[in-house]
Amino acid sequence: MSLNRDRADTAFTFKGGMLPMTVMELSSGDPERIRAQLAGKVSQAPAFFQHTPVVLSVEQLDEPHLALERICAVCRAHKLLPVAVRGGSDPVKQSAWALGLGWFPPQESRPRAVEPRPVEAPVEAELPVPPPEVSVHAGGRIHRGTVRSGQQISASEGDLVVIGAVNPGAEVLAAGSVHVYGSLRGRALAGIHGDREAGIFCHDLHAELLSVAGTYKRLEDIDPKILGCSVQVQLKEDQLRISALN
Amino acid sequence: MAKIIVVTSGKGGVGKTTSAAAIATGLALRGNKTVVIDFDVGLRNLDLIMGCERRVVYDLVNVIQGEAGLKQAMIRDKRSENLHILPASQTRDKDALTLEGVEKVLMDLSEEFDYIICDSPAGIERGAQLALYFADEAVVVTNPEVSSVRDSDRILGLLSSKSRRAEQNREPIKEHLLVTRYNPNRVDDGDMLNLDDIREILAIDLVGLIPESEAVLRASNQGVPVIHDDKSDAGQAYADTVSRLMGEDVPLRFQSVQKRGLIARMFGGGGRR
Repeated sequence: MSLNRDRADTAFTFKGGMLPMTVMELSSGDPERIRAQLAGKVSQAPAFFQHTPVVLSVEQLDEPHLALERICAVCRAHKLLPVAVRGGSDPVKQSAWALGLGWFPPQESRPRAVEPRPVEAPVEAELPVPPPEVSVHAGGRIHRGTVRSGQQISASEGDLVVIGAVNPGAEVLAAGSVHVYGSLRGRALAGIHGDREAGIFCHDLHAELLSVAGTYKRLEDIDPKILGCSVQVQLKEDQLRISALN
Repeated sequence: MAKIIVVTSGKGGVGKTTSAAAIATGLALRGNKTVVIDFDVGLRNLDLIMGCERRVVYDLVNVIQGEAGLKQAMIRDKRSENLHILPASQTRDKDALTLEGVEKVLMDLSEEFDYIICDSPAGIERGAQLALYFADEAVVVTNPEVSSVRDSDRILGLLSSKSRRAEQNREPIKEHLLVTRYNPNRVDDGDMLNLDDIREILAIDLVGLIPESEAVLRASNQGVPVIHDDKSDAGQAYADTVSRLMGEDVPLRFQSVQKRGLIARMFGGGGRR
């Protein structure tokens, strides 16, 4: 029972946290090409390269084996600190662990079609509009009942549906969208892994904070006229757009 | 088996001890064998409200540490023989309480009493968590102000996650809302939250509404639980609360501004505003 734990005995506590993290999306596994590109970047933005922690994303690479150690050395030489690897084959995972790096599974929830592949070249032309992007998320979560101050309800995959109110001081998070069938008075964060298509939908908006894929608005920033309305919140041109439903 | 009711709030100074004393006394006056336990170790107050501070010899910590028996530590109320008080220690702190010790005390009391009222300390730390851990029902005391409502909301979260019933996946603690220090005049003026706002946020059943009353302070200082003052509005409101806790259906009183007579308005000059 947690109550039995003497406070003086605990050397640490585990806490969930979300930190902004730079992801280095590799489109080549060749250390020399990475070195060449990094050298150019350093001269453009020297302030960025201050032992900045980065996650190496190898999801776009199809190579089963990577010169991970050399890639890391190149990064460190340019004052980037690789802390983890995302995606890749099993040998890549093993070598990440051998190098003392963390490994994250590939980010499946992000709708692939949103990121145009370099091969496809710009298709800005007047093509027929593709079917509307619907973020379909597996493994979502439904919470029934009031989410109370101090409580945090999250769906690390998919959408979160809350049937009830989210009270001041409570926090609801989802990799996908957040739906609140009740008053939203606490904090709501959608797209916590970066899904920019995610949204927040609620009855009776009084949220302390709204965030989609890291772009946020505080209660103070929200137009008072829209408070109390049923709304949807979406990310449009790097801005949160709050619009009334119905 | 006794019913264990915790009186809790998160926030301090909202009327937990006053309410615990009044509810325990009310239950005892209705013929229930009742014991009220002060869990606020280090900040002992219940004995003062109950007017038995001069008769405290042993306390809850003594019992838990085996230095005294329950019978020695419990104080029988002067006014109702059905009511006993188990005081807190003033010289120790809340670390002196252990989960096993509290469980044993509650189990022993459970055989003899109908109701065990636990007067929780403020806060959400160990002391408050121990007070609520074994509860069957909870009375969440809330004042009509935003900070109190938020703290009550936090405590409701703990009741549904950190209690024994929650950990053992049993039927959840029955939660009751008790709104205290309610002043309809100030609600009408917009200084205080109104009852509907509080109920909407906390979303639990209302068990009582206690108006802000001079009788409460007077009762505290005299060491006579306010429920004995059956002429006072607060005394009557606590009596209604006890009826509802015992399952009776009683209409809500004291919610709106009481119309003052013409004479009172002429001579009162609106001074109460």
